[in-house]
Amino acid sequence: MNLQKPGLTLYGLFIVMAFLATAALLLGVAVSSILVVLLIYAALAYSINFITGMIGYVDFGHVLFMAIGSYALATLVSYYGANPLLGVGAGAVLGLVFALGIGLVILRFRGVYFAIATVVLVLAAYNIVLQLPQLGTGGEIIFNRPLQPLAPYFTIWTVVMIEIILTYYVNRSRIGFGIRAIKSEEDAASSVGVSPQRLKLIGYMLGGLFGGAAGGVYSWSTSGVTAGPAFDFTFSLLMLAMIIIGGVGTSIGPLLGAVVVYIPSYFLLTSVAQAQPLIIGLLVIIMALFLPDGIVGLLRRSNERLRLVLE
Amino acid sequence: MPLLQARNVSKNFGGVQALKDVSLDLPESAVLGLIGPNGSGKSTLLNIIAGVEKPTSGIVKLDSKRIDNLRTNRIIRYGLAKTHQIPKPFSNMTARENVAVAVLYGRRNIHSPRPALEEADKILSMVRMGSRKDAPADSLTVQEKKRLELARAIATGASILLLDEVFAGLSPEELKDSIQLFKKLHDELHFSVLVVEHVMRAVLNISHKVMVLEEGRVIATGSPDEIVHDEKVIQAYLGSKNPAA
Repeated sequence: MNLQKPGLTLYGLFIVMAFLATAALLLGVAVSSILVVLLIYAALAYSINFITGMIGYVDFGHVLFMAIGSYALATLVSYYGANPLLGVGAGAVLGLVFALGIGLVILRFRGVYFAIATVVLVLAAYNIVLQLPQLGTGGEIIFNRPLQPLAPYFTIWTVVMIEIILTYYVNRSRIGFGIRAIKSEEDAASSVGVSPQRLKLIGYMLGGLFGGAAGGVYSWSTSGVTAGPAFDFTFSLLMLAMIIIGGVGTSIGPLLGAVVVYIPSYFLLTSVAQAQPLIIGLLVIIMALFLPDGIVGLLRRSNERLRLVLE
Repeated sequence: MPLLQARNVSKNFGGVQALKDVSLDLPESAVLGLIGPNGSGKSTLLNIIAGVEKPTSGIVKLDSKRIDNLRTNRIIRYGLAKTHQIPKPFSNMTARENVAVAVLYGRRNIHSPRPALEEADKILSMVRMGSRKDAPADSLTVQEKKRLELARAIATGASILLLDEVFAGLSPEELKDSIQLFKKLHDELHFSVLVVEHVMRAVLNISHKVMVLEEGRVIATGSPDEIVHDEKVIQAYLGSKNPAA
């Protein structure tokens, strides 16, 4: 693996992204309104990948950052008439700030204790939002704005693009080596000079930043936010499912996982919506049992050339 | 002036006193062996010096700077590294990547992965693991994992190594090989070593001085030759010659 020059994985991802951009431009509103959800899923998958994928800390509460971004945008656009782009930026910054504060405390827990703490956080945040009159009755803010689908589409496209490049280079950098060491043996990492607390916080903050940005675009594209769906546990599970199916920690896995989880769910929605969690759940169990490295791991093992190229 | 000093170190775990007023000096380039029966406090002492645990009382100094209040990843910066009794390789990486992590985070002069991996290759060759550098760490044998521990400790650029049972669990042939390798590395790199060891043949062979612990106390200190003839040491290991006494 050449550590200096970008490899085929990155070029491949660029081609896919270029295809997604052209498809939206050429085929117009109908297609972009479908693909925007795919890209929001991908953005969320990349954001949780910085925490659960790279560091190995299972985050069941990642929907929190999505909700923070959603409320940031909805508040700014609805009450202050701000440009939605500003709302996405605010969602990202708030996600980062909350991740810093929360991470300083909960990253001291390990394993199942960390996972439980993330679940409790979401429950607490949901009830706080319901009590805040500033965030609408029942945590509902709806705004009336003529929607130009291409604007949120290319915003989330840009977010995913940044996440891809960042994931790719973090994995190859000094920080990537430290993070992989923490994922394997946190105490041994510490004994060769790695500072686990610092690197874990960096990963968690990146997760908060991009989770917030994705949440902002989500409420932008749905013209509002409601507490129930915004804090829906299903989102956290879907994000985890996407990176587990795609390949944890990798640059290509989250996008692969988003496609695999989203495309069937789009078709199922019109026929048997209730079957979606069941099918995705089964898929995750099968992957966890037989393919712990996800689709990327499967491809790597199937072919020597792919093993060297896929990152 | 000794490089590493411990003064009156004690450690309690609940009601159990694991270490009682232990002091030691490790001069530059010296090899100090630490022996004693199971549960005599050897590993605890090593953990305290490496910053894994805090002493209940007493101080540890490195070049006259106190290190007993620092965390492990800070102590590394002062040039002190410890291997693990049970090897803890980063199993999601190859051998050379394992060593590269130590190069990247233990030293201040190499910051990017490529030169770190090149440096890792050199260190792996030094510990005679050059041919295994691309092997996934979890596929290594016990001996290779122990060598990897040693390679990682050296890779941090440490001038003081704390070795916790690096010679345990090896076949006689591997043991001979490892002792010879240790001596060669010590001649080349001149590091100071505090070595905890059960394998007498190894510890008597490589140590300049040996310290014996029993129930958390130092019962004897001396050259390997003096230690094997020391009455108290023989008693601690084999029991009294006269059980009635």
